[in-house]
Amino acid sequence: MFELLFKYPQAVFSRGTFVLLGGWPVWLLAVAILVAAAGLGYLVWNRTGGRMAGAKSVAVWVLQTLLAAVLLAMLWHPALSVATLRPQQNIVAVVVDDSASMAQTDEAGGATRRAAAESVLNSGLLNALKDKFQVRLYRLGDHLDRFDKLEQLNSSIPATHIGEGLKQVIADAASLPIGAVVLASDGADNSGGVDLETISEIRRQRIPIHTIGFGKEHAARDIEISDVQVPARALPDSRLSAIVSFHQNGYSGEKAKLTVKEGAKILAQQMVTLKKDGQEQSQTLLFNAGTAGVKSVETSIEPLAGEESTKNNLVTRLVNVDARKPRILYLEGEPRWEFKFLRRAVEDDRTIDLVTILRTTQNKIYRQGIANPDELKDGFPTKVEELFAFDGIIIGSVDAPYLTPGQQTLLKDFVDRRGGGLLFLGGKDALSDGGWKQSADVELLPTILPDRKNTFVRVGANVELTAPGRDSLITRLEEDPAKNVERWQKLPYVMNFQDVGQPKPGAVVLVDAKPTTGGRVPLLITQNFGRGRTAIFATGGSWRWQMLQPLADKSHEMFYQQLLRWLVSDTPRKVITSTPKQLISDDSHVSLRAEVRDRTYLPASDAKAEAHILGPDGIAELVEMRPDPIESGVYTADWTTPKTGSYLVEVTASRGTEELGRDTMTFRREDGVAENFHIQQNRELLEKLSSETGGRYYTPQDAQKLGKDISYSEAGITVRETRDLWDMPIVFLLLLSLRAGEWLLRRKWGVI
Amino acid sequence: MRQRSFLLLVLCAITGWCVLRAQRPFKDYPALEYQNFPLPPDWQQSTEWTRARLRYPSLLAPHGIPDGPRRWTIDYPRSDRHLLQGIRRLTRIDTRSVEQVVDLDGEDDVYNWPSLYAVEVGYWNLTDQQAKQLREFLLRGGFLMVDDFHGTVEWNNFVAGIEKVFPDRDIVDLDNKDPIFHVIYDLDDRFQVPGMQYVFTRSLFEYDGFQAKWRGIYDDQGRLMVVICHNMDLGDAWENSDDPRYPEKFASLAYRIAVNYWTYDLTH
Repeated sequence: MFELLFKYPQAVFSRGTFVLLGGWPVWLLAVAILVAAAGLGYLVWNRTGGRMAGAKSVAVWVLQTLLAAVLLAMLWHPALSVATLRPQQNIVAVVVDDSASMAQTDEAGGATRRAAAESVLNSGLLNALKDKFQVRLYRLGDHLDRFDKLEQLNSSIPATHIGEGLKQVIADAASLPIGAVVLASDGADNSGGVDLETISEIRRQRIPIHTIGFGKEHAARDIEISDVQVPARALPDSRLSAIVSFHQNGYSGEKAKLTVKEGAKILAQQMVTLKKDGQEQSQTLLFNAGTAGVKSVETSIEPLAGEESTKNNLVTRLVNVDARKPRILYLEGEPRWEFKFLRRAVEDDRTIDLVTILRTTQNKIYRQGIANPDELKDGFPTKVEELFAFDGIIIGSVDAPYLTPGQQTLLKDFVDRRGGGLLFLGGKDALSDGGWKQSADVELLPTILPDRKNTFVRVGANVELTAPGRDSLITRLEEDPAKNVERWQKLPYVMNFQDVGQPKPGAVVLVDAKPTTGGRVPLLITQNFGRGRTAIFATGGSWRWQMLQPLADKSHEMFYQQLLRWLVSDTPRKVITSTPKQLISDDSHVSLRAEVRDRTYLPASDAKAEAHILGPDGIAELVEMRPDPIESGVYTADWTTPKTGSYLVEVTASRGTEELGRDTMTFRREDGVAENFHIQQNRELLEKLSSETGGRYYTPQDAQKLGKDISYSEAGITVRETRDLWDMPIVFLLLLSLRAGEWLLRRKWGVI
Repeated sequence: MRQRSFLLLVLCAITGWCVLRAQRPFKDYPALEYQNFPLPPDWQQSTEWTRARLRYPSLLAPHGIPDGPRRWTIDYPRSDRHLLQGIRRLTRIDTRSVEQVVDLDGEDDVYNWPSLYAVEVGYWNLTDQQAKQLREFLLRGGFLMVDDFHGTVEWNNFVAGIEKVFPDRDIVDLDNKDPIFHVIYDLDDRFQVPGMQYVFTRSLFEYDGFQAKWRGIYDDQGRLMVVICHNMDLGDAWENSDDPRYPEKFASLAYRIAVNYWTYDLTH
């Protein structure tokens, strides 16, 4: 229809530039139109003899003026100047996606996407292209290959890297007159899309990419897991969350079963009600990390009847459950029930080592949990190595002056530089009442402490989760969020609480206290500080959760265990190893990074870092890591994985004969798995690719138009042509409509 | 709708009030030995800790004390007030100046006072229900110190009561190495602490309780839940520690024992 009215294909208009071929200047056209408008105005108002009122006269004048303007414009000879590819002198690259996703049978008649692509190319398109250009056939997978005949396609390549493939076409274009690219694909890309750099490069070469999309844009009946987020590291027996994102089509309102498994062992299971078609939904499943070791955690949605693909119902992630036992030092200023019950709460926790220093009398301390009789014999550490040996610190009802200024500074360094966790408890000598407002550590606190005393009051208060508290793993006593809120509401009141002031920006209040005297104050507040984290639990009276609930109730134990695990689970060791992607899909390259610190946790830039890599089938390799030229204490290495499977990396860092530390990390290489996801056509990617490069997106039905459109390109060897516009049928129709419109109006008004 | 909200509010208020009332306020009881004992001036002070005294039903007195049911009040409240002053002076425990009397009455109040003391338990007569509540109290984390019972007969009656509480746990002699004897003071060298009878008779023991026994019951984690001071009278020692006739060495040891025991309670 477009071409019928406008004489030329859309591509001519989108790629061409408008020109006036008449010899007269453009300003003369404007003057002529103005003169015509004035003359027509005079005639309309003076020669109708008052038979038409004002508005009617204006309508007639406008129609007549437009008619005159169009006619005058035609006299100036309008045309489009467009670059076209010279026949037989240019190459058109036809890139056909030959990845496994093209074997999906969701085309008409149950045909595969590959078969549909072959059909489109064979039914005239390829011949039309060959008539005008040299055609080079490429097949696209994880890289680009040339091929000769369409019969060679077999949809067997386990990955699609569109961006990588197009880069190769651009590389070819440097030595070949490639005038355009035709990409026949479902748009399923495993490398996360086409990066801006590649698109910019294509635009610089002015090569239009025309895309033909195959496959359904929305699966009729399918559930797909979009993503699963689980922590890469965990402490043994800690509670972890798997945040599962998924979407579905065709099963709205139905129930589906989400399962988290490790091998045959079910870690968590939950029924979910499926939302509207296409709507992304998310569900959090909690599970226990179990014993130390590398865990392959599988998250799946049980296939529903009639699903088009069930391969996208399962996602695997690796969790490295660390064998270390973090040590927490708890300094308490007075023997009290909170001290006793906190110790009891974490005594059963095999993952945490609690060491305590208690001021029993004015001049005596009592140590528990010490590694040897000499440890902490002089009280709270005064040396950096001694304090930094711990992963977390708890300060109870202790007044700030009990610590020397040096110890206070050390405490700040512990959080900021060491990356440790620091928890303050409420108490008669704690926080504002203990002079912490005036201490060097005031900036560590997640709240702005009140500038007064007597903030600790022995008044009962109920506790209530805040909105962030409902989502936090620290406060999760029940897996079901609603039941969790209810359980917190039913907890016995705390014996006392402390006013800790307003939370600082960035701090998160997880629990509020609602005193019986009225009001609401923050009770549990957390924040990140430097490399570490700090928190306030503004009471010394949570022990009632243990004493006033049945023996079988483990609320108090769970709360403190989870709070203390949060405090130390992210405390770094001297060596921290990481990789940008723990799951490498259809790629063999892995980048390793290690951050190395010395005994005082200052960056160690003169260390030697080595990565010992163990992989499937006995793969073992030692890779030396290079110091990063920009970041002090950072070492990097690139390595190529020879096989798919799980890999364990242990990085050791040493300085001379002294070993600074070691850390382990896991990653997994998977080939062909990502291809099972995002099975519907990614039209958005294909449309974006074509529009950004000056091409056009086609459906298989209108792909034959490509034969004509493709000629208009500024890449390759081109010639500039002009296309007259005055004889377009639309111009004639416009003139006719203007005249007919005026006649119809006059007839209606009876002024013919 | 408004009416419903109002009723809900009232219900919540009543529930809240009931919950808070679960912790009973201080109350002075008439005792066998002391009537109208003066309250210290700061008795109303709100503090972190106090030691509770168990009010239990007792057997009729077999040896002349007429008011059997009030055996739990022996030495009360003078002994308690003296002890609390000592705890306040010798430790950093933020203690009240008055004790708290608690019952095993099936209510929740006892759980608010995890540090519990019972005297003259050679005559206690716990019901099955009370024994069950005491077991629950101890397993949740409560601590019980028993004192001032002597000889075989009283021991046997104490055991009959404690076996109702813990039929499956052994009473053991405490080793000198146990932290309870070292938490603040090193108490390797302990001796029998007699009651006030020593002032009149110079006898260290009562009945056939010739030797002080330091015993206890542990929980599954190796923490002492019940500490048993048999054949000694620490209560009398605290009570009479301001009496010039009562030897200082006995009072002194009694305080050190109490300081260690209650500090142990607050640390284990």
